[in-house]
Amino acid sequence: MLDDHTPSAEYGKRPSGRVGPGLGRHGAAARALLRPWWFPSALLALFELYTRTLAKGSDSLAPPSAALRAFAGAFTDGSLFQATAFTLASAALGLAIGATLGVTLGIALGLSKRAARLSVVTVEMLRPVPSVALIPLAMLVFGFGLRMEFSVVAFATFWPMLLLTQAAVAQVDARLLEVSQVLGLSPLQRSLKIVLPAIVPRLFIALRLGVAVSLVVAVTVEIAANPNGMGYAMMIAQQSLDPALMLAWLGWIGVVGFAVNAAALRLQRWVARRMGAVA
Amino acid sequence: MNPAQRSAWLGSGAVFAAFVALWWAASHAGWISRVFLPTPEATLASLHEGLASGGELIAFMLATTARMLQGWLLASLMGVALGALIGVSPTVRATLQPTLEFVRPLPASALLPLAIAMFGLSPGMVLFVVAFGALWPVLLATVHGFAAVEPRLVEVAHCLQLSRAAFVWKIGLPNALPDILAGMRLSMTVSLIVAVVGEMIASQPGLGQAILLAARAFRASELFAGIALLGVIGFVSNALLSLAERKLLNWQSP
Amino acid sequence: MSLLSFDRVAIHLGGREILSPTSFEVERGEFVCIVGPSGCGKTTLLRAATGLVRASGGEVRRDGRPVTQPSREVAFVFQDYGRALLPWRTVQGNVALALEAAGVPPEQHAARIAEVLAKVGLAAHAHKFPAQLSGGMQQRVQIARCLAQRPQLLMMDEPFGALDALTRQSLQDEVARLVRDEGLTVLFVTHDLEEAIYLGDRVIMLQANPAPGRPSLARMLPVGIPHPRDQLGTKEHPEFLTLRRDLFAFIEHGHA
Repeated sequence: MLDDHTPSAEYGKRPSGRVGPGLGRHGAAARALLRPWWFPSALLALFELYTRTLAKGSDSLAPPSAALRAFAGAFTDGSLFQATAFTLASAALGLAIGATLGVTLGIALGLSKRAARLSVVTVEMLRPVPSVALIPLAMLVFGFGLRMEFSVVAFATFWPMLLLTQAAVAQVDARLLEVSQVLGLSPLQRSLKIVLPAIVPRLFIALRLGVAVSLVVAVTVEIAANPNGMGYAMMIAQQSLDPALMLAWLGWIGVVGFAVNAAALRLQRWVARRMGAVA
Repeated sequence: MNPAQRSAWLGSGAVFAAFVALWWAASHAGWISRVFLPTPEATLASLHEGLASGGELIAFMLATTARMLQGWLLASLMGVALGALIGVSPTVRATLQPTLEFVRPLPASALLPLAIAMFGLSPGMVLFVVAFGALWPVLLATVHGFAAVEPRLVEVAHCLQLSRAAFVWKIGLPNALPDILAGMRLSMTVSLIVAVVGEMIASQPGLGQAILLAARAFRASELFAGIALLGVIGFVSNALLSLAERKLLNWQSP
Repeated sequence: MSLLSFDRVAIHLGGREILSPTSFEVERGEFVCIVGPSGCGKTTLLRAATGLVRASGGEVRRDGRPVTQPSREVAFVFQDYGRALLPWRTVQGNVALALEAAGVPPEQHAARIAEVLAKVGLAAHAHKFPAQLSGGMQQRVQIARCLAQRPQLLMMDEPFGALDALTRQSLQDEVARLVRDEGLTVLFVTHDLEEAIYLGDRVIMLQANPAPGRPSLARMLPVGIPHPRDQLGTKEHPEFLTLRRDLFAFIEHGHA
């Protein structure tokens, strides 16, 4: 609205109707690109300095430069690939199971108010159990390995997918459900042809959360018990007093988490663009 | 409670009881080995034994809860304070936001090896990681809450010539409160998780260690008892926070 | 000396000239209405007078001194009342904000709030939250908060634009009465020509897309209709009809 000059959100700033002088378009663009890196670079530089001087020769800390070298080592000897693949695989499998079950049950409970009412106590009793509490049980049943990990991930991702899908179905336009009634669709047809496509944008938002949870839980299981994957590699590095490798793994876990979440975000945004953003 | 609500609760409870009955049948008939699935009675017996006066489960429960609460309180205070400072200034926010976004997906438990390296296996180490893990949801939520003030309110404050401090206290903070409380609820969940994992790997007394040892010794009923208690802690803490949230935010749906 | 003076005030935004150099004076106790189509700069002019926007050229003066930032002497009523009230405070609390900002001692708050709520007819709703109030009531809360400031000048930016016709009419009369009782000077922006003539002592009409030979300030007409005015009688008053015809005709044929 041309009449409305909305001030900046920064409180206390003096009003201005003028465009200030700048470094020109390119200067401003370069500054914007570099800005995210100032703080972490400064932090890493400080840490590098600290570990090289005051904490020199420490068993517990290492300079970032040494961590990078350790990272390169893990990359070349294949351990990086192996551990990363394990974690990602167990997270993906767990998410696949948890999401499939969660979405299916979520649609069922979303469509039937009666079923939803009947399930309340059971859900509220089981949901608050922290997924990590199941690690010893999974260990007992499956021993160590892939199954133990993805079963815990499945439990952890099941609940958010269930609840978010249920909520999404509840928000499907009543008109669409009436249409399915008039057309005489069977419950299965109704679910597949009307409900599922209608909730896809919201599903992908839930899936984004599920992806984040799956990765976090997978790494947590590896740190707590499972002798496989990135979390375990990091634990072993610490226990063998190799701080450089430990920090390398910590950084890598961060990078993988960031990348996977960013990819999930892009996917969700793409879906929103194609299938309509959440109403 | 009106009759309709009462019957809804009864029905729901009956469904839950049906699942328990299924559990009973499965364990007694041996569909799932009793090594993995203890009978409901055995679980109850373990619970009873552990919770009776002098029972160790009470001590474990208190230890885990204390760890969770201490870390959560510390994290909440720091998170709100830091979040407010970051949130009110767009420049600071722009500089720090990318770093915050990078740390956000990092599992809090991933800090445990580093903490062990720095502090050794101790209760303080676990508390440090619990607080660190719980810090991020509150911090990020607070930053968001302070950053997203309704521009019209900013103008109103400007017209009334409200001081910057008064603005943060009277407008910024209440505006951020819904986000802060949601962040604190999430933080609580993280606190519990990290407390449990911390106990497991640092051999600190608590429910985390208890269930790990029970599993290793194939004592399934004790394992299930411990899991149930952890569920109770999760349930109660979340319920209390939700209640507090509703009371504090009663203006949203008066 | 006039209370508010616009001295060749020009405003550029986003590289465009929104308001060409405009000059006029507002005397104490006057009710000046500013009308015009979208994009003519009427809201921007109001904001410049308040100090929320800085003029690109010329100067706004209040009591002879240049206006560079907002002041408690000037109260501003926003159109989107829902967004201008604190949702977490009651009606009472919202009005109190003005008193807190002005540093009024807490002992005096209750009395002053009650006084101002009585004036806008919201005394019975002091403990309700904005979410519990209708649009018209919310706008009255905003007006009450502005009155609590005890301002010299009241700026109103299309305050009734978001309300239904009946509420609008009753609020018009309420504001007219309040302004007369308090002896306030008002600058009132609206797109509703009839509302402007009904309320104002003077109507200023702005036009969009100013160009050389076509300044923003298109018409400035005094409204001689006596006070108090009423919705039925005034709108059949000959001067009302004349002004109305004049302004509408200008809109129809006044563009180059």
